[in-house]
Amino acid sequence: MTAQEAQQQSRLLRGIHRTVTGLHPALESLIAAVAGLLVGALLMVIWGFNPWEAYSALIQGAYGGSYEWANTLSWATPLILTALTFSICLRAGMFNIGAEGQMYMGALAAVCIAYFTLPPGLHHLVGLLFAAAAGAIWSLVPAALKLMRGVSEVISTIMFNWIAKWLGLYLALNILVDSMRAEKTVSIPITARLPVLVKGTSLSAGIFVSVAFALVIYFLLWHTATGYELRAAGLNPTAARYGGIRNKRTMFLSFILGGVAAGLAGATIVMGLPPTYAAFGGFPQLLNMGFNGMAVAMVGRNHPIGIIVAAIFFGGLSSGGGWMQILAGVPLEMINVVMGAIVLTMSIPELIRVFPAAKNGIQKALRSMLRKPRSAAGEGSA
Amino acid sequence: MNFSNFIDLLRIALHAMVPLALTAVGEIVGETAGLFNIGLEGILLLSAFAGALGAEIGGPFVGLLLGMAVGAVVSLLFAIINTYWQGTQMVTGIGINLFAMGFVAFGLIQLGVPGHHVVTNSGHLLKIRTPMGMYSPMILVAVILPFVIHWFLKRTRAGLMLKAAGEMPEAADVAGININRIRLLAAVFGGILAGLAGAYMSVGWLYMVTKGFAAGRGFIALACVVFSGLNPLLALLAAFVFGFFQALAEWVKTLPNKIIPYEFVSMLPYIVTLLVVSGAIGRVRFPKFLGEPYKRE
Amino acid sequence: MSDTNAPRKGEMFLRAEGITKIYSDGTVALKEASVEIHSHEIIGLLGENGAGKTTLTKILSGLLPPTSGRVVSPAGPVQFANPREALDFGIGMVHQHFALVGTFTAAENVALSYDRPFARTQLAKTVERLEALMEESGLGVPLNVPVEKLAVGEQQRVEILKVLSRDVNLLILDEPTSVLTPLEVDELFNLLRRLKDAGKSIILITHKLKEVQDITNRIIVLRQGEMVGDVKTADATTEQLAQLMVGQAVDEAIDAVELSDQELPVRRERRAVNRSGKSILHVENLTARGNTGDIAVDGVSFDIHGGEIFGIAGVEGNGQTELVESLTGLRVPISGTATINGTNILGIDPRQIYRLGVAHIPEDRWELGLVLPFTLAENAILGVHRWKEFRGPFSVLKWGKINQHVRELMDRFEIRATGPSAPAKSLSGGNQQKLIVGRELAKDPAIIVAAQPTRGLDIGSARYIRQTLVDMREKGRAILLVSADLDEVLAHADRVAIMYEGRFMEVCAPEELDRERVGMLMGGVTVAKETA
Repeated sequence: MTAQEAQQQSRLLRGIHRTVTGLHPALESLIAAVAGLLVGALLMVIWGFNPWEAYSALIQGAYGGSYEWANTLSWATPLILTALTFSICLRAGMFNIGAEGQMYMGALAAVCIAYFTLPPGLHHLVGLLFAAAAGAIWSLVPAALKLMRGVSEVISTIMFNWIAKWLGLYLALNILVDSMRAEKTVSIPITARLPVLVKGTSLSAGIFVSVAFALVIYFLLWHTATGYELRAAGLNPTAARYGGIRNKRTMFLSFILGGVAAGLAGATIVMGLPPTYAAFGGFPQLLNMGFNGMAVAMVGRNHPIGIIVAAIFFGGLSSGGGWMQILAGVPLEMINVVMGAIVLTMSIPELIRVFPAAKNGIQKALRSMLRKPRSAAGEGSA
Repeated sequence: MNFSNFIDLLRIALHAMVPLALTAVGEIVGETAGLFNIGLEGILLLSAFAGALGAEIGGPFVGLLLGMAVGAVVSLLFAIINTYWQGTQMVTGIGINLFAMGFVAFGLIQLGVPGHHVVTNSGHLLKIRTPMGMYSPMILVAVILPFVIHWFLKRTRAGLMLKAAGEMPEAADVAGININRIRLLAAVFGGILAGLAGAYMSVGWLYMVTKGFAAGRGFIALACVVFSGLNPLLALLAAFVFGFFQALAEWVKTLPNKIIPYEFVSMLPYIVTLLVVSGAIGRVRFPKFLGEPYKRE
Repeated sequence: MSDTNAPRKGEMFLRAEGITKIYSDGTVALKEASVEIHSHEIIGLLGENGAGKTTLTKILSGLLPPTSGRVVSPAGPVQFANPREALDFGIGMVHQHFALVGTFTAAENVALSYDRPFARTQLAKTVERLEALMEESGLGVPLNVPVEKLAVGEQQRVEILKVLSRDVNLLILDEPTSVLTPLEVDELFNLLRRLKDAGKSIILITHKLKEVQDITNRIIVLRQGEMVGDVKTADATTEQLAQLMVGQAVDEAIDAVELSDQELPVRRERRAVNRSGKSILHVENLTARGNTGDIAVDGVSFDIHGGEIFGIAGVEGNGQTELVESLTGLRVPISGTATINGTNILGIDPRQIYRLGVAHIPEDRWELGLVLPFTLAENAILGVHRWKEFRGPFSVLKWGKINQHVRELMDRFEIRATGPSAPAKSLSGGNQQKLIVGRELAKDPAIIVAAQPTRGLDIGSARYIRQTLVDMREKGRAILLVSADLDEVLAHADRVAIMYEGRFMEVCAPEELDRERVGMLMGGVTVAKETA
């Protein structure tokens, strides 16, 4: 191709790049979601299941009616919060993988309110506060280790997850145990239970807690100076320092907020999940909410609003999974496979660039839509 | 497992050391070249599962090979995403872990018992009987390999190239080294070792596969790497220490009285890891471009 | 336009035909560039930032493939898939930012480019070869020390040795003198002349006209990716070259590029001096350590008054960065005092320093001055984001006010962008710098610390920023101008300090300096002032 043609094509490419980039974040997430579902379908076919049946059942079970929607939202409730844990810290430049452990501790702290009585409302509040504090404390140590000794927060938060699992098991079955049923903790009393919103489902007022927290975080990050500092510290700590931002403080704050979010996630389950309103040994109701939260965070582009949408999607996967298992016989562990594939796809940046065929196809389509190519304003690098 | 004496404790510790040492040494090669793979946990799980399957079909060596192959393939995918496609290593690793959790759980259900599968005798990599108990031959492999890798990194040109790719990829590029290719090879090598580690767990040591089989070993291996400062010999030492504490936790479980609740002992390996990692920082120095994709222009 | 008059012994070594390079983001870096390279020749490759000099040489040295065009040798067309193939052919490049692995020794760095990965490194042999080479070439460097511990000049010598050890026929050097003292430059040029006499071809990339006239046989000028001149050095005048580089009328061109001795005093007379006399910044015996732990600033003392531009000249790496960092809250010095209007500014937060009336235009606008993924508006409040006019109660940001402020800045400083919510990385370098300048000046500062303010900028933006600084001086502000561009400092400062190894060699008015003296001072040679 001649230099002339090359120049023309690159002008077009830049124009497309800009068009696509404008949609980019949401588009990427969508493509990843589709890719994950395709991988799941492939595996189903290999194992002799019918993906159409499975996915229809899934969608039915997730969004088929108000009852189903309620269950989906109930799954989404803790996911929003654990996703926020990961995202807030990521925005500050840190990898907090510890939502799982922080959540367990929050759940147990919330259970503690069963030991005293308070009027409703106040009792709820105290439960949430205890949970938030426990989550924050559990994330404090990894934060301190990182900021004072440079310990990788990835490793320390993961270690704390495991410590929480065992410590939580001990506390649940030995200290906080229900004297009448040894496999669970004492139950949250009625005065502190989050009311069920749709009768017969597990959707509680916890959803309000989650969404409210997400909105608060949104406001904090984009409309306050503190949030501004957090984002700056995550994107460019050197420039942040130049701007007078105390990076260590902001990173610490992000961990605390993340811990609060995860702790609240634990609380919404323990205080909101009928019929037992308690934590079981091994935390079966909480299991993997922390890790799935990370997937939600990534698909939600680490933005509170995106996270809410992504949580509804992932919540749908989880709640619809039960129907998929019953109606189509596909074990619901397939959901994790789908989630993993989605995250894997998300780790590839600018997916459009990666698949030249797709790129050419979209290029052709856009070429016919574009009236004239965008003008060049590029800078050379000598 | 029985602990009639201290030798037994050591024996268990040596067996527990193997997956940690193999995975850690493999990851050292990868990190030297600049790739940080947090998906080791997932690779261990997948290769344990694959190893079990392979062993039942064709015997223990087929099982080990299949495990290594799975490790290689997953690492290849990880490497391609994070070199040629300029991906984010941390996110890919998390994706691998999630996928592995689901896939193995799903696979176990298909095999019969949800969450659990025992490898039939024909698939066992037999341990060798010695006067001091039954030992797996893989222990030897796990002990010798770090020395080989250490020599390789220090004394061959390939070792220099790996280090350059991780420390200053531009310099390596100018010297004609294909950064992406070398990182790919390093990652695949690490994956083969991690695959071997996982297959060993199901085929050569515990003779089963469960849903949460890896039990954090992938992350403990990462901690070994941090402790070692990318020195394979130190990683071997760390692996033994952690293996020892894991064995200790198991031993406490078998004690008649509940002097220490077994949950607290189960926490020990992870607490020790934390302490070691907190103490080790400051001494060690990691490749400057660890975790960064390289783009030439 | 092309002068293919080959020098005496020279035969063609390599020819580039119609090289075009378009980057993946669409930038056209080179447009049909053609050049013939002969033996026994030193070619100067001139051009401003962004002209395509580095791109062309990267293509010749195998680092980048051309989009179209080809490279031809007497034996036929050649194609390099990577730098090593180019090295094997006989082309080696010494980059501006050294391609050295810091933790490796010089010997290990050289060994890196050898083949056969599974062989043992045999460093002893490499050391032997290098020692022989050092004898031959006159370059001396410690071979067993990690390269990151060497001085910049020594590191460059390692780079050159690396390339020479491969027996190259074409040696390309990218802005080699920007990190050298004048004495080291002389040494380098002597080496280059020796290599030329031995039959090698050398391409020297530079933007310094004096250098090019000093050492080259031939000069090639690139402008915006095109070859606009290929002349014999002896035939070219400074004005001609400047005009080719910049493409404007001669007067403006001269103004923009390196000034020669004769022009300097003329410039200075035209300036009005307006010193208010009051000392704004007072620094006494400031001493600070650098990142390596060595002393970087060694007992520096000076005052800056309102209405004055105080310039610090010197080769980069002599403590200027650390000095600026100490005065702007980014580094804690170990001793000394510094005050603004009497208030201490050492060891305190940058935010507090800004409140005391200090503006800081940082030397690295990408690392330090901007958060590139942030929007213009977000960057415009960096450092002042907690000031009352932008922040309400509960630290809520007043975006309405902020956006208005940004629009005013865009207007006043002619910042070209699509709006306050455009991401900063979409702006050109010049506009980014103007944003930073606008942001800093909006603080209404008493003193402006400008570190390398025009580095890497196009002529127009550079001129704009220099003029802005001069305007500030007329308004009575104090200005600290730190620049590695000697002529920039000499042309604009009222007083100049030459910095070398952390100390001020001399502080005086620019009129009292001539290039030779400055060169020696920059190189650390104390020269007595001439009387009369």
